[in-house]
Order: sequence, then C-alpha cells, then structure tokens
Amino acid sequence: MTRMVTVNLKINGKQYSEEAEPRLLLVHFIRDALKLKGTHIGCDTGHCGACTILWDGKPVKSCQILAVQAEGANIMTVEGLEPEDGKLSIEQESFRENFAQQCGYCTPGFLMMTRYLIRNNEEMTREEIREKLHGNYCMCTGYQQIVDAVQDAQRKYFATKK
Amino acid sequence: MTSQKSSTESLVLQSEKGTKQNVGKRVPRIEDLRIVKGKAGYTDDIEMADQHYAAFLFSPYAHARIKSIDVSKALELPGVSLVITGKDIKELTKPMSSRAATKSPTSHYILAVDKVRYMGEPVAAVVARSKYVAADAAELIEVEYEPLKVVASIEDAMKKDAPLIYPELDTNEMISDHFDFGDVKKAFSEADKIVKERIRIHRYASTPLETFVVNAYYDPTREELTIYASDQQPGRTVQSVERTIGIPSSRIHLIVPPVGGGFGYKLAIWQYVALASLMSKMVGKPVKWVQTRTESLYAFHRPRGYMDAEFALRKDGKVLGMKLVDWQADANWPYVAALYSLIKFANMSGTYEIRNYSFEYHCVATNDPPIVQDRGVGKPFMAFALERMMDFSADALGIDRVKIRQVNSVPAEKMPYTAGSGEVYESGNYPEAIRRALEHSQFQKKLEEQAKFRKEGRYVGIGIATGIEPGTSNLGYYFLSKAGDPDYNGAGQMATVEVAADGVVKVNMNGPEIGTGHVTTIAQVVADVFGITPEEVNVDAWYDSIHGHLTYAGTYSNAFNDVYLGAVLTASNQLKDKILNIASSLLKEDREELYLANNYICKLENDKEKRLVGLKEIARISYGRLLSFPKGEEPGLKVTAGYINRTAKPFVRSDFNVQLTHSNSVHVCFVEVFPENWNIKILDYAIVHDAGKVINPGIVDGLAIGSTVSGIGGALYEEFVFDEQGTNLSLTFGDYLKPTAMESPEIRVDQMESPAPNTVLGTKAVGEGGAITSLAAVAGAVEDALKPFNVKITGLPITPEKIWNMVKDTPEYKKINKEGQ
Repeated sequence: MTRMVTVNLKINGKQYSEEAEPRLLLVHFIRDALKLKGTHIGCDTGHCGACTILWDGKPVKSCQILAVQAEGANIMTVEGLEPEDGKLSIEQESFRENFAQQCGYCTPGFLMMTRYLIRNNEEMTREEIREKLHGNYCMCTGYQQIVDAVQDAQRKYFATKK
Repeated sequence: MTSQKSSTESLVLQSEKGTKQNVGKRVPRIEDLRIVKGKAGYTDDIEMADQHYAAFLFSPYAHARIKSIDVSKALELPGVSLVITGKDIKELTKPMSSRAATKSPTSHYILAVDKVRYMGEPVAAVVARSKYVAADAAELIEVEYEPLKVVASIEDAMKKDAPLIYPELDTNEMISDHFDFGDVKKAFSEADKIVKERIRIHRYASTPLETFVVNAYYDPTREELTIYASDQQPGRTVQSVERTIGIPSSRIHLIVPPVGGGFGYKLAIWQYVALASLMSKMVGKPVKWVQTRTESLYAFHRPRGYMDAEFALRKDGKVLGMKLVDWQADANWPYVAALYSLIKFANMSGTYEIRNYSFEYHCVATNDPPIVQDRGVGKPFMAFALERMMDFSADALGIDRVKIRQVNSVPAEKMPYTAGSGEVYESGNYPEAIRRALEHSQFQKKLEEQAKFRKEGRYVGIGIATGIEPGTSNLGYYFLSKAGDPDYNGAGQMATVEVAADGVVKVNMNGPEIGTGHVTTIAQVVADVFGITPEEVNVDAWYDSIHGHLTYAGTYSNAFNDVYLGAVLTASNQLKDKILNIASSLLKEDREELYLANNYICKLENDKEKRLVGLKEIARISYGRLLSFPKGEEPGLKVTAGYINRTAKPFVRSDFNVQLTHSNSVHVCFVEVFPENWNIKILDYAIVHDAGKVINPGIVDGLAIGSTVSGIGGALYEEFVFDEQGTNLSLTFGDYLKPTAMESPEIRVDQMESPAPNTVLGTKAVGEGGAITSLAAVAGAVEDALKPFNVKITGLPITPEKIWNMVKDTPEYKKINKEGQ
C-alpha cells in the first residue's frame, strides 16, 4: 500500500486536512479529494493554464505541483472569487458582460489570472494584457472578448480604489 | 435584395403584445452565471458511487503486427479489476464499418485486433479503483510488436506494391468518384489562359480544452446502461454503442453535461463510450475515462492531402471552368472515411458563378491517424484551394485580386442560386459583402499604407478571401455509397418545451451544449414566444436521451440555428397554443383575443392590457386540478416536437444538395513579415460575416472571431508532424502550437444580415465561417507582403522556417542581406 501523507492547507479561507499519495498532483487533490471542481485540467504539461489557482495571491498552475508541496499554503480557487453577498466579483461580472467565455472550460483559469493582473499592474494596454495572458489557452473565443473583459475588470477595480 | 419571405411562415416568431422583444439583442449569456463561478458541471465533475477508472495502452507504432500481449503483471497490481485486449474485443464486439466509403473494412475494432494501423491506436484497456492505479497498470502490460512497413503518404499508399492498411479490401483507396458539371471541355477550349497548381493541406486539428470524458455504468438491476459523456453526437453514439457491443438502444441512457468545447472532435468519442460501457458491464462498476492531452493529440485530426486545380480563364478574369482532382488521406478509420473528400464537391464553386467544373476525389488509407469532422470538415481546404487559385488566376492575368472576385461573384439578382452541382444557395448577397468588406477594412487606406511601408523596406501585405459557410448537413453523400434511403439525415431535430408544475417555462433542446451559446439563444427565442424574459426561461444545458431525439441528434454541421431552433419553436408554439386553448375554455373567453405576457394570460380591454389568469394557475390546473381541467384537452403541459428543414431533397447525381443553409463571409487580412526572423504579425483583420438573422450579436461576434483565430492557428502555427515511421512528434502543446492571446489579432466584425428563407427565423450557419475563410486570407496577405521575393504560397502552415526556405535564394534576399552587412 502506498504511504499516505496528510496535507494541511487553506483554500478560499477554509482549512482542509486530507490524506494524499506523495505523487498526487495538487490539481487532483483540489478536484478529487476536496471536490472543488471549478479548477480544470486542459493539458497536463503546464501550457494551458486551465488549472491556474492563486497561491498567496500569485498565479500557480496546479498541475505542475504536488499536493504535498502545498502543505501550509493559502490558496484561492475560482470558488473563492464570489463575494459573500452572492453578487459576482468584478472579474466574474466583466467576463459575463463581455461574452468572454464560450464553452467556459478555460474560464476559471483566466479569472484567477485576471484577479492577479488587475491588482498588480498599472493600467494595462490591450497589447500588455495579451502578453500577460499568454500562459492561458482558450480554444473558443480567439481571446478578443477576454481581453475586453480584463480591461473592463481593471477599469472597474480602479474605480473602487478612487 | 436580401429580404426573402419565409416559407415556414406559420412558425415565424411574433413577439407577444406588451412584452419586450429579445431576439436580436445582446443579452448577457445565462449559462455564464454558472461558468464564471466554476459551476458549469462538465462530465469529469460528475462522480458515481464506487467510481472506477479506465486507462488505455496506446500503440507506439504506426503500423505493426501484434505478436503477443502479456497482461499478467497488470492484473497482479492491487486495485486492478479488469484488463482487456483485442482478443476479448474480437469475441465481444462487432467491427466498425464505413458510413460513406463504398468499401468497408471488416478488421477495424474499437481495440486493435492483431495489428495496429496508427500510432496511438488503443491496444489494451484497464479498469482500476483509482486513476493513478489504472495508469500504472496500463504501463505494466507487455506487448510484443512486429513493425510493418509504414504507409506514410498518399503516394506511398497508391504504389502498386504498397502495404495494405486493410488487406481485406485489396486496395488503399476506399472510394473515388468523378463528377462533371456543365461543359468543362468547352470552357477550357475557349479559355484565354489556363492556370494550374497543386494546393496542399496539412494535418491540424481543433483541440477542445476539455478532452474526451466518459463515465459509464451498466446497472444489472435495471439492465440499463447509463452514460455521461462529452459527446457531440449522442443520438448517433447510442446507435453505434448498440451496434458495437450489442446493448439495445432502448436500454441506453446517455447524458451529455455541458461540453468543454466540441469543434467536431467530440463526434469521435463513441469508440471510447463503447469501450467504457463494455468494461462497466464486465466489472459491474461505473467506469470513468478522462483522456490525457497527449492521448487527445494522437488522433482525430483533419487529414492531409492536396488538390490539383486547373482554371480556365477569360482575360477579364471570368473563370470559365475548373478541373479539380482532390486527394485526401482520410480513410484510416472506417467510421468517417471519405467525408473530407465528399463534403467539398457540392460547394466547390464557393461564392462564385462557375458553371462548368469537374471534381474528382480519391479517399486513401495511410498510417496517418484517424480523422474526424473537425470544424468545417473539408470546407476550410475547399475555400483555401479555391481562393488561392483566384489569387493565382488574377496574378496570371495581371488583374487585381479584388477585381477577379467581383467579376466572378454570383450576382445578387440571381439569388436564390443553384450551383452547378445542384447545391442551392438560398440567400446571401456576395457582391455586397465584398463591397462592405472593402469599406469595413479601409482597403484603399491599407493600400496606401502598404505603398508607404514598402518604400521604407517593410514587408507588409493585404489578403482578401471570400468563403461560403454551409450549414445543416443533409448527409446526402451517403447516397453515393449506400443503396436506398440512408438511415441517417441531419436535416431535422427534436426539442422539448414544457411549462412545469410550478409555472416555469422549461426547455431542453435535446442536443449537447458545446459552448456556442445555445442556452441563451433558446431562452431569447422562447421568451419572445411566451412573452417573458430570457432569464425566466429554464433552459436545460444537459442532453438526455430519455427526451425525444432523432438518431442523428447532436450539435454539428452548423445546424443549431436551423433545425434545433426549428424544433424548439415548433414545440413552443404547440405548447402556447395548448395553453391558450385551455385558458379560453376555463375563462370562456374568445381564444383569438388571448395572449401571453409576463407570465399571465392577458387580453386587451379598451387598449389596456388586462391580466386574466397566471401561467402558474394554468399549470396547477393542468397538472393537478383535473376536475377543473377542460374536456377535450390532455392534462400536462409538455411538448416534444420534431422539425425537418423541408428543403432537404433526395440525391440525384446531377442535382445534389449537401447542405441546406449558406452563410458567407469576406475576410481582409493585413500582415507584416519581419526579415530578422521571418515572423509574421497580423496588423489588422476585418470580417464581413453574413449569417442571416442574428439572435444575439454578442454570441455571434464571438463565434466569428473565435473560428477565425482557429483558422489563423492552422494557417500559421499548428501542424502534426510525423517522422518517416509515422511517429507523431506533436504530442504536447509545447510541440503542437496553438495561438495564444499574444499571437491573436484584434478582429473587427461587421455582421450583415441576409435572412435564410428556409429557416424559422432566417438564421443560418454561424460557428465555422472563420475557420473556412481565414486560411486563404492569411496566405494571400503573407504572399503579398513577400511580393518583392516573388514567392508563391500553396501550402500551410506558413512558418518562419518555410518562409526562409522560400526566400533565401532570391535576389531580394541577397539585396537586403548585403545592405544589412
């Protein structure tokens, strides 16, 4: 029998303690052990960004890291974006208003990137947004409406800071 | 003229009095409320009790005999409950057969039996308690192969002594045919000039971000198979599973949760649905398989091939005739063999009036992996070949590339137009689309900019291409190979509409939701029928085979806007009729004066709306208070209705309608090529897209842009590369290059609306247009940018390496390199 390791971490403000095989990928831990199904798997090789989460506020591709490495981590997944009042977050609202998703499979990864980008950059040009999103693949939209959404989200975010 | 009267007037939507019309509005997508919360619920998000997992062992060889398979080590691994190989499959299942090709192999099973025909063919399968153990077990299976000579190209396959992919057929050519439309001989004898070229297409594919996922459970207590699958054509899958593993279709319950991208790729999943179902029956557990990305890149692509094209030209640019010979390596999976060859000929003249042409096709089996009906099937290549030939013809005659397209466009007054093949272009205005594209793209200004840039030594070019975007497959090409009336046709669908017991309007389109905005589109249409808001319509995004469906049910062939909306509207109108009849009986009011608005049955009194009774109340009576329920009506408020596009016609060889609606577009692409590294940058991209009536501009713009970027990927980056042994070298996104946000251009879309007269709302095909028209627009632009080097682009993708090889021996190259020293 494979030796199991207990992994303790915080996701979306909630403390979890679950057993994992040492070789278990973090994304499988999140999806299969913790049943948080919003984080997706698109490529297995770190190219597509569907599994992007925020780890201490920074974007990480959760298919490129083992669950045991996340011991003590503070993680946010797409399920943590929604404010408690039941309204959509700025990122979610902007993605919806701009038709930034078609099949939606890549969307959680893009939303996590957007959460990070709009808070950690000065006002971005469309060209800059495109460059910063190059680690997230979308097979449906051709990216244009995603760029619209990120620009819109940043505008909205800055408006809350005024 | 673009406005034509609908032939199905009774179905035409009329917004109820006193309510807001939703069709045509940019309504934010309802499904997005779940998507942005990570709660869309894809197939892999569903787990069954006692869930088991499958893994497959795939062939590392493109062509080999299987000498032996040893599964003992895999079976010994704790947690493994089943290992099957071709031996079991040969006993338990029927082989796949051809649908469209005249020759049908008898040796191709859902797991390889005795030999493998492509790298990535499944050879053995495992079921285990966890996905990690299943993968471990697959690795422990030992297979001894005897490599066979690989058939790596069409030329190899057609050699006299070529190894046979299917020895039982005595040939590698599965079907070939020759059509003559008009008088080709005369056209060529009258030509001022003849232009001839071989145009090539490479192997590329749409790669939906969600891979194949299937979860099957055979319940022995009910003797029923329940399947969840990311499947684009579940109606057909049920039939194929029945045929292959012998479970009657009436005992198969197939559910398709929202699909994470389809693009045709997921028309091929049924093979794995059959495998998972069979294994579940064998082990008595629910069996889930989630394909890895590498596994998804093994197979189900677009085929490679080429077309030898010859154009007979009059000196003013008029194309008098064409001779086309098409070769496609599209036969190494009997299920879809020949579709790439067959789908082109009827629409081959594109948006042009070319009456005389011959079309010959050859569908060839090689050791290339199987193909699938990827976005547009053969039509992107069809348009690429035609549009490249238009450019070459213009150049040969010394006339303008725009002019030749204007000269040949089907004149507006000839619409509806019957092409030489019999294909009926029911609507559109092609000269107007070109005119609008020139304006929308600021073509004249682009020419001036280009002249300025060229003087500065910059390589900037403009490409223009037109494209026909057919929708709703009549699947008539089965008539070519099968006698009588084929069992399948794509010209109809079914849908279910109800007012549930709580008074809520609920719809199931009885087809898979693949990301193309069906939930919201249907909600907009149904909201207008019932006089409510789209948000109040509960559109179920799950396909469920227990609802009524036809045997070809699925989301494919650009048909949603035609047949699914037709079925939804038919069911909605029938239900509304029933509701108003019930209300009229109950209220003793004149039926003709009643209408639905804001969840009430209303009538006008002194021009003022009077609410007579709530929809909720009607539902209560219809479902429960049967003693109050009017006599002569059936209780319950649920209607499942079917719909057929009646312009579908049986095949006659000289008069052949492959598809029933025809959208079109004009793309203008402006690029720069950088001589430092021969990289290409798209500076501007403008599209005029005519998909008839637009129900939601936000959705339709997105599909036009997204499909175009998928084409740009095929034109510039994406290619499956194989070595001489047929080894696929492009098995991760590190090797198979998709366009990211960085490479993708800003695209400007101008929607033109020429309504189709043969669809319920005038809507037409939307999802494939960009993938069809973009290839030639990009190629034309790059070639124009490289004009000083005098290169000709006849194949894709146009990589920096290919450009360098084309330009490196040219005088211009020597000139700039001398200057650079």
